[in-house]
Amino acid sequence: MISEAKQSERRVSAVVAPRRERSVSQRYRHSLWLLTKRDLQVRYTTSALGYVWSILDPLLMSAIYYFVFVVVFKRGSATEDPYIVFLMTALLPWTWFNGSINDMAMAFIREAKLIRSTSIPRSIWVMRITLSKGIEFLLSLPVLVVFVIISEFTPTPAHIRFDAVYTPLAILLEAVLIVGLGLIIAPVVVFFRDLERAIKLVLRLLFYATPIVYGISRFDSSSAIKHVLDFNPLTGIMSIYRSSFFAGSLDWPAVIIASVESLVILGIGILMFRRNVRAVLKEL
Amino acid sequence: MTQQGMLATAAATARKPVIVANDLGIQFKRNRRHRRNFKDLFAESSRRARPDEFWALRNVSFSVQSGEAVGVVGRNGQGKSTLLKLVADVMIPDEGRVAVTGGVAPLIEITGGFVDDLSVRENVYLTAGLHGMSVPEIENRFDEIISFADIGDFLDTPYKHLSSGMRVRIAFSVISRLEEPILLVDEVLAVGDRQFKEKCYNRIDELLASGRTMFFVSHSEADLLRFCTRGLYLDKGKLILDGPIQEVVDRYNADYK
Repeated sequence: MISEAKQSERRVSAVVAPRRERSVSQRYRHSLWLLTKRDLQVRYTTSALGYVWSILDPLLMSAIYYFVFVVVFKRGSATEDPYIVFLMTALLPWTWFNGSINDMAMAFIREAKLIRSTSIPRSIWVMRITLSKGIEFLLSLPVLVVFVIISEFTPTPAHIRFDAVYTPLAILLEAVLIVGLGLIIAPVVVFFRDLERAIKLVLRLLFYATPIVYGISRFDSSSAIKHVLDFNPLTGIMSIYRSSFFAGSLDWPAVIIASVESLVILGIGILMFRRNVRAVLKEL
Repeated sequence: MTQQGMLATAAATARKPVIVANDLGIQFKRNRRHRRNFKDLFAESSRRARPDEFWALRNVSFSVQSGEAVGVVGRNGQGKSTLLKLVADVMIPDEGRVAVTGGVAPLIEITGGFVDDLSVRENVYLTAGLHGMSVPEIENRFDEIISFADIGDFLDTPYKHLSSGMRVRIAFSVISRLEEPILLVDEVLAVGDRQFKEKCYNRIDELLASGRTMFFVSHSEADLLRFCTRGLYLDKGKLILDGPIQEVVDRYNADYK
C-alpha cells in the first residue's frame, strides 16, 4: 500500500505519448545504415587522403604484379591483355573480400562497448562490415574505368563485353559469401583470439589459390589444378567479374559451384551464429 | 481504505505489466580470465580446459507495471547488473525469458556508443539513431540535448578531445532524452560534479512524473529511497524479496550490516 500511495503522489496523469512504432526490419535497416555511414565517416574524416587510401592498396598491388610479370618476366598471352586491366578486374573485388574477412575477426571485439550498452540486432556487426567495404569497392571502380580508357591508346585496348551484365550476380554472390563467412568467423574469434592470425595466413594462401594474377582459362578443363581451383568459390565469382573485358573468362560450372558453396556457407553461418551469439554476449 | 489509496489501486489494476521476467537464469564461467586457446579447438571435448560454471541468476520471476520505479538491491556480484542487462536485451538468458513491452532507454555504460574520432554533433545523431530515434526527432530535440549537457561551444570538437566529465554529460543527455517508456539506470549517477548530478536527479524525477517506468540498480540507500517505490533484493543469484523499497532496504541492512 505504501508504494501505491507514493506513486499516486507522482501525478501519473501525464502519460508518455506512444512513439511512432517502427517495424523490426525498418529498425534493422536504420541501424545498419547509421553504422555503415559511421564507418565511412570515420574513414574519410580522420585521414587527409581519405578516398585515396581505399584505392591505394589495389593500385599498388597492381603496379607490383605488373612490374613482376610484364616487365621482369615479359610474359603475357593475348587473352590476358591489357594485363593491368586483367589484374584490376580481380584485384578490386579481392580487396573487398580480403578487407571484409580481416575485419570480421574484430567485428565484436572492437565494438564491445557499444554491444554491451545498446540493444542492436547482433548480425548487424557482420552486415555493416560487408556493406561498408562493399561501398568502398564500388567507389574504387572508377579507377578501373580510368585504366580501361588509358588502354584505348595502347596496341591492346580493353573492350567492354556483353558479359558485363552479369556483374551484379558476381557482387551478390561475393556479398553472400562474405556474410556467410563473417557469421562463422566473428563469434568464433571472440573465444579463440589466435584465430585472427590464422585468418590472415589463410587469406594470403587464398590469394594465390584464386585466379587473380593468372586466369582460369590457362588450365585445361581436365587438369588437376583446375579441379582444385574450381572448388574455391572465389574462382567462379572472379570469372564473372573478369568476363566483362576478357573473352573466355566466364566459367559457368565454376559459377554454379560458387553459388552452391556460398549459399551453403551462408546457411552454416546463420546456424553457427545463432548458437554462439549468447556466449559471445557473455564473453564481451 | 482512503480515497487516495483506492484511486491508486484502480490506477494500478488498469495498468498493464511492461516488464515480465519468467524464471530467468543465466550462467557464467567462474574463471573469466581464462581464455580458451587455439589447441582447444582441436582437442577432444574431455581434454578441453573447461572452467567451472555458476548461475549468476536463477529462477528469477517478477513483473513490473507501467509507471513503477523498481530498485534492485544486493551486494556486489549478486547479479544486479546482469539482471539489468537481460532487461535491456544486451544479454540473452540461458533459461526462461524476459518480455519487455515498449522501448527501453538504457543508462548502462552510456558512453559506449560514442566514437572518438567523430564530432559531438555527429555522435549525438549516431547514438540517438542507434537507440531508435529518427532524424527529424533528433533535430527537434537537438538544442534541448546540447543545452542540458551544457557543452554548446564544443559541438564540432572531436569526442576524444572532451573532458571525461563532458563525455558523460553529453551521453546522459542523449539517452535521457529518448522518448522511451522504460528507463534502465545502472549507477551512472555516481559520475559528474555535484551540480550535474543534481540535474540528472531532477531529470529522472521529471521522467518518472511523466509516467515512465524505471528499473534502477544502485548501492546508494538514499537514491533508492528517493526514486523507487518497490525493491527487488538479489542474493547469490536468487530473488530473496520483492516488496516496498523501505522493507527491502531494511532487510538488506539487517542481513549485511
